[in-house]
Amino acid sequence: MAEIKHHAYLFDATRCIDCRACMVACSVENNIPMDKTRIWVAGIGIKGEYPELERGTMVYHCMHCDHPDCMSACPVGAYTKAEDGPVTYNPDVCIGCRYCMNACPFGVPHFDYDKGIIDGAFIDKCTFCPQRIYNGEEPACVQTCPTDALEYGDREELIAKAHARIAAHPDRYIDHVYGEKENGGTSYLIISHIPFSELGLPTLPETPVNEVSEKVMEMTIPFALSWGAVLSGVAAGVHMYNKNKEEKEGEAKPEKKAEVEK
Amino acid sequence: MTKTISRRDFLKLGAASAGAVALGQMLPPQVAQAARAAGLLNANGDGYIHSMCEMCVWRCGLTAKVVDGRVVKLDGNPEHAHSRGNLCPRGQSGLMNTYDPDRVLTPLVRVGKRGEGKFRQASWDEALDIVASNMQKIKDTYGAEAMVFSSTHNLSQPLFENLLYAFGSPNYGTQRSLCFNAMIVSNLMTYGMEEPGRIYDENLKYILLTGRNLLEAISTSETHDLIMAIDRGAKVVYLDPRYTKTASKATEWLPIKPGMDLAFHLALLNIIISEKLYDKTFVSRNTVGFDELKTEVARYTAEWAAPLTGIPAETITRIAHELADAAPHVLVHNGWRTSNFTNSFHTQRAISILNALLGNWDVTMADAGGEESGTLGAPPQPPYPRVSALRLDGVPWKYPVVPLKIGVFQELRDNIVSGDPYQAHGWFISRQNPIMSIPDRSKTIKAFGKMDFIVTVDIIMNDTAWFSDVVLPEASYLERYDPLLPVGDKVFLRQPVIEPQGEAKSALWIYKQLGERLGLGDYFQYADEEDYLRQQLAPLGVSLEEVKAKGYAEAPETPHEGEPAELSWNTPSGKVELFSDTLSRVGFPGVPVWEEPPQPSENQFYLLTGKVAQATQFGTQNNQLLHKYSDEPRIWMNAQTAAKLGLATDDWVEVSSEVGTIHTKLLATQAIRPDCVYMTPGYGHLSKGLKTAFGVGASDSAIHVTYTDPISGSQALSQTFVTVKKA
Amino acid sequence: MKLNITLPKFLRIGLFPAILIVLMAIAAVVALIRYTYGIGPISDLSNSYPWGFWISFDLFTGVAIGSGAFVMAAVVYIFELKEFKPLLRPSVLTGFLGYIMVVIALLVDLGHPERIWYMMIHWNHTSVLLEIGICVMSYLTVLAIEFAPVILENYPKLHNIAHLIHKFIMPFVILGVVLSTLHQSSLGSLLLIQPAKLHPLWWTPILPVMFFTSAISVGLSMIIFESSMSSRYFQRGLEIHLLEKLAKALPIALGVYLVLKFGELAVAGELGLLFTSGTMSVLFWAEILIGVIFPIVWFSFKTNRVNPNRLLTGAVVTLLGLILNRFNVSWFAVKHPDPLYYLPTFMSNVKYVPTLPEVAVSIGIFSAGIMAFGLLAKYFPVFEDEHPAAAHAGD
Ligand SMILES: Nc1nc2c(c(=O)[nH]1)N[C@H]1C(S)=C(S)[C@@H](COP(=O)(O)OP(=O)(O)OC[C@H]3O[C@@H](n4cnc5c(=O)[nH]c(N)nc54)[C@H](O)[C@@H]3O)O[C@H]1N2
Ligand SMILES: Nc1nc2c(c(=O)[nH]1)N[C@H]1C(S)=C(S)[C@@H](COP(=O)(O)OP(=O)(O)OC[C@H]3O[C@@H](n4cnc5c(=O)[nH]c(N)nc54)[C@H](O)[C@@H]3O)O[C@H]1N2
Ligand code: SF4
Ligand code: SF4
Ligand code: SF4
Ligand code: SF4
Ligand code: SF4
Ligand SMILES: [Mo]
Repeated sequence: MAEIKHHAYLFDATRCIDCRACMVACSVENNIPMDKTRIWVAGIGIKGEYPELERGTMVYHCMHCDHPDCMSACPVGAYTKAEDGPVTYNPDVCIGCRYCMNACPFGVPHFDYDKGIIDGAFIDKCTFCPQRIYNGEEPACVQTCPTDALEYGDREELIAKAHARIAAHPDRYIDHVYGEKENGGTSYLIISHIPFSELGLPTLPETPVNEVSEKVMEMTIPFALSWGAVLSGVAAGVHMYNKNKEEKEGEAKPEKKAEVEK
Repeated sequence: MTKTISRRDFLKLGAASAGAVALGQMLPPQVAQAARAAGLLNANGDGYIHSMCEMCVWRCGLTAKVVDGRVVKLDGNPEHAHSRGNLCPRGQSGLMNTYDPDRVLTPLVRVGKRGEGKFRQASWDEALDIVASNMQKIKDTYGAEAMVFSSTHNLSQPLFENLLYAFGSPNYGTQRSLCFNAMIVSNLMTYGMEEPGRIYDENLKYILLTGRNLLEAISTSETHDLIMAIDRGAKVVYLDPRYTKTASKATEWLPIKPGMDLAFHLALLNIIISEKLYDKTFVSRNTVGFDELKTEVARYTAEWAAPLTGIPAETITRIAHELADAAPHVLVHNGWRTSNFTNSFHTQRAISILNALLGNWDVTMADAGGEESGTLGAPPQPPYPRVSALRLDGVPWKYPVVPLKIGVFQELRDNIVSGDPYQAHGWFISRQNPIMSIPDRSKTIKAFGKMDFIVTVDIIMNDTAWFSDVVLPEASYLERYDPLLPVGDKVFLRQPVIEPQGEAKSALWIYKQLGERLGLGDYFQYADEEDYLRQQLAPLGVSLEEVKAKGYAEAPETPHEGEPAELSWNTPSGKVELFSDTLSRVGFPGVPVWEEPPQPSENQFYLLTGKVAQATQFGTQNNQLLHKYSDEPRIWMNAQTAAKLGLATDDWVEVSSEVGTIHTKLLATQAIRPDCVYMTPGYGHLSKGLKTAFGVGASDSAIHVTYTDPISGSQALSQTFVTVKKA
Repeated sequence: MKLNITLPKFLRIGLFPAILIVLMAIAAVVALIRYTYGIGPISDLSNSYPWGFWISFDLFTGVAIGSGAFVMAAVVYIFELKEFKPLLRPSVLTGFLGYIMVVIALLVDLGHPERIWYMMIHWNHTSVLLEIGICVMSYLTVLAIEFAPVILENYPKLHNIAHLIHKFIMPFVILGVVLSTLHQSSLGSLLLIQPAKLHPLWWTPILPVMFFTSAISVGLSMIIFESSMSSRYFQRGLEIHLLEKLAKALPIALGVYLVLKFGELAVAGELGLLFTSGTMSVLFWAEILIGVIFPIVWFSFKTNRVNPNRLLTGAVVTLLGLILNRFNVSWFAVKHPDPLYYLPTFMSNVKYVPTLPEVAVSIGIFSAGIMAFGLLAKYFPVFEDEHPAAAHAGD
């Protein structure tokens, strides 16, 4: 395999046969409990009315966003984005607030709802199989795919490949590589014959979802300081004004409270 | 699926369930030593070992990752032509078959009533003695022919056959008549070979698939080939009453009326011949019987086929023209289990002949060589005894063109039940689940009831084992050696990647032990599995150690002596037989002819069956991983039809045929013809020993009526008609 | 013989406190189950709905209704409107207890409650939730300091400390207002990361401003509500002249909020959504009509401001409307991952209906808050400023 600067996947929905080998492979490779999964086969299933039918299948796991919202949101920094792509989660610091689940536009992180304090309830999500990719192997889900609907490689190269495939069969594909720009770019790239929204993918802007909140966060400390200063100023001003007023009024008379309804 | 599985970490659990193997132990010595010697495992027992998948008959090459003597992951072996580095979902989940908590790990001897499922554990010595003495008793009392043997295709099958031929029984049942007899016999009659190879190269332009649901009934490499052909822009026309996943990727899906494929293909022959679109050179040089064919198909016009098939005449004509335009880069796929009606032999013949007319030989179809490679060695053995008894399945006295090795399995039962021409008394079954795989399950159970003795070799308590007297536990495919498998120019090795759990043993060992106890030791002249393999490898001049390390050996194909001047086939005429004298001499039509298939009455439906990607036949539903990723089995019905009948998805329905009634849930879907219903095979197990699978879904075999194609002996699985009502 | 059982004095409690205790006990049992078996068995939370009733009610609503504390602190200390002093202590106490309840609820909701303090050592500076966590923890400390004199004054020996606090209260007051401003608005920022999930009628980059503005109105309404209630329960006088002034401020605060709300939609060009979003339009209008337009009109009439019953009615309606807003943004208007995962085993039930145990937890914590307020008000001079003797009157 050529050198990989930015690990990425390419999913081609026109090739996927919904066989779920990728799901089984992930379960085995990562020893996923029997009632959990890190990868889903989603999509529209069958659309239309007999005999005019269409099928859309979409394989879904962590997008390994270039600007991960899970990572941006996590209060304790349980997520890490590796420079070469993978977004990983560290259970040792997680407090289980599940904000990452709200933040992720793709609904990827999953939580152990059936574990108590002693068992330890954690988040789980696709790791990009670092134990494999850093040993020169493809991720388990990719390696097994019998139709090469899932491919793995360098992000730039896969983007070029995706566009080349669309250019070669413009009648077959929607002219868009999902993930090239969405959410500021993801490492999971998708091409399809079915509109992406029907495959279950959110319509996202090119700017990362977390951009606004990160900007607000940047402004927090300066704002807090200035707000504190303003309040102190107002307080001091009011105090001086009142003191002045009191002095001017002199010892006229001890002020009497206004009439009270009782 | 809805059934929840409490087991959390299956690998951990697998360890716990393999009770007989002490936990935490080092890799037991044999495999460990061998694997270490070959450099596959390190001192800790960790490493990668090449072997072969056995989750279905395709046998993909795999590489097993082993940690502490436990297999933790399987990956496809890129060197293997069947896997090319990929594994299908079943192959991927294979280690869960091995670590299935419901594995049978010691020999079992029945103690309760048959079918009650009460067994006691026995030692191998005792169990083998019981089996051998019962077999001997039956042979001594009623003759060897009173023992029936049956087995589904597997690598140790030659040794199984050794046992039965040496024992002297003619009664042998394989899965083939349940599967693709129509295809095999038609190819034998046309090309003199069971199944020509298919070539999916860059030039392939057009594929016509008849009910071969390659994208669900997966053969990893061919599934990949088909997807890549589509990717390159080849046109795929797919005939199936169901909108399968293959239909969804095909360029054109034709929801043909079941059983009418014959009419469709006869019309194609008619157009191609009458409009002279065939490859004249190939036909004149390499075929016989063109004139007979031409005369016969003259009446099968597109207009004639249209009302039968439900496909407009223009469409049929267009497809004929498209095929001819794309020829010879076309492939009219024979299909595998395209044996849905008693007319399927003719359908298959029409397909075989269509390929010949399109002149695609050596372009998209070729002699595949087959699995029996002449280059491998074998232990010496004496000739088999002569057998004079008639076969109970009617081959060849009723089915003259069906090869003996293949048989007509489903037809055995009537003769067993009637005791005519003689009574069978024993049944030896290996790697097969006939209780589930033969139509009309109650008839199979009735036949079992006639037996004095039944023995099954399996890895789990399948339904057939549940009804047996002795169950012999075979080591799983990850725990044993098997004879070598030639694929192309290589021979591949299955070797143990972990030590057998419990008392499980390889088939090579089991058959040899039985052979010796039956006084047939001369037919099993090998000391152990490795010795057998060494004898196989001898002519290749490679050591077993070398093969173990690589997983395969190069087996130079017999070199071609220059370009042969003439193509020739292994038929009586040496040519492709459009008209078959062999068929005609035994009273069958020498060319394909129209035979009208029966059709359901007003309130009946065709009952269709067909594979799903997450299961193999009747043996993997207990695999917890596959169970986890499977759809809930429900009977499909066209949504509009269901609405008319007042039925909705998840309603319980009662489905009845001539031979049985079942209850199951309904799935109202657009993806099926209004006159059909469909059931996924392999559910509704009877064995309570299958704790994951028991109680899930219903069995189509319980309501399938047995129909057999009179020429090829294939069962006809779509010819059963059912009524459906709210349960 | 006739049994004549008299309960010991400390067990002689009224019916209302007894009910509160039962509710707390139920919540405690539910919490125990949750800690043993996980959140799943007692709630309807799922991978599609990671946040539910607890977050909408305990966190979003709880923090909002705690806003009376900073509003009053600002009014009394910063703007030196000393006449409002009688309302200060009860609001600070409400705030203090409210925030403690928020933290307790979070200890049930968090997957790892024992790690809540990790927020203090593992900082991810891009996380809005971290900011809220830090602010709430700090603000609790400030509130404790602001409230401490009430307790301390009761013990003559500790008078000095109370005095000291009094002397240096200003920095804490300013810190408290700053912290409140931050986390009241940050509760809105929390949802900034969900532009793809929160309905555009609510999602706007100025969510924090919206939250802060509305928090002021919630604070004002809360003070009215809580003074009215406690005057009834403790049979003490109602500072109606003060409340009237607060009520007069409400239309102004809400007016600003209303302009922001519609202004933002107009600028974003999303006014059309007001009528085209089905249920979402209905929820939006409900929240605006109940929580904003109605109070603006209602409190513009003096008759409604000076009549205790009408005053209370107005405050309650305003609160309900604004609480509906918090439920909308954190729950009703959030789109959850589509049910497109068609493998039933893993498909989280995409519908979410809070379970009884879930609600019971919140009710239990709420009961504890009321109980604590009652006890503190009974034994400490919470309302002391106006009626020095009142605090002991009930003995
Ligand atoms: N995943 C998986 N793969 C497998 C297997 C497995 O069990 N599981 N088994 C392997 C084996 S042994 C075999 S034989 C092959 C079988 O593979 P296939 O030959 O594809 O056989 P089926 O899946 O049994 O049936 C194929 C299709 O035939 C359709 N059909 C039914 N009646 C008719 C008819 O009258 N006309 C037409 N045109 N179509 C009809 C059904 O709707 C079904 O979709 O698969 C192999 N691969
Ligand atoms: N209704 C219906 N009937 C059908 C079909 C259908 O689609 N629908 N398909 C037909 C077709 S195509 C076929 S090929 C036949 C198949 O029919 P069978 O061959 O009878 O069915 P399988 O399920 O393949 O049986 C395999 C058995 O081998 C066992 N086994 C697995 N691995 C091992 C091993 O390593 N060693 C041993 N000793 N045993 C092992 C499994 O547990 C299982 O019991 O069924 C046919 N019948
Ligand atoms: S898809 Fe979700 S979980 Fe994965 S990196 Fe992006 S935001 Fe994080
Ligand atoms: S649940 Fe864990 S990983 Fe997710 S945001 Fe909270 S602390 Fe971070
Ligand atoms: S990359 Fe690895 S962890 Fe992620 S879905 Fe694929 S197999 Fe699972
Ligand atoms: S393995 Fe490949 S073809 Fe199968 S479901 Fe996954 S992506 Fe699709
Ligand atoms: S096709 Fe699948 S089940 Fe069959 S041998 Fe290959 S991997 Fe195994
Ligand atoms: Mo088969």
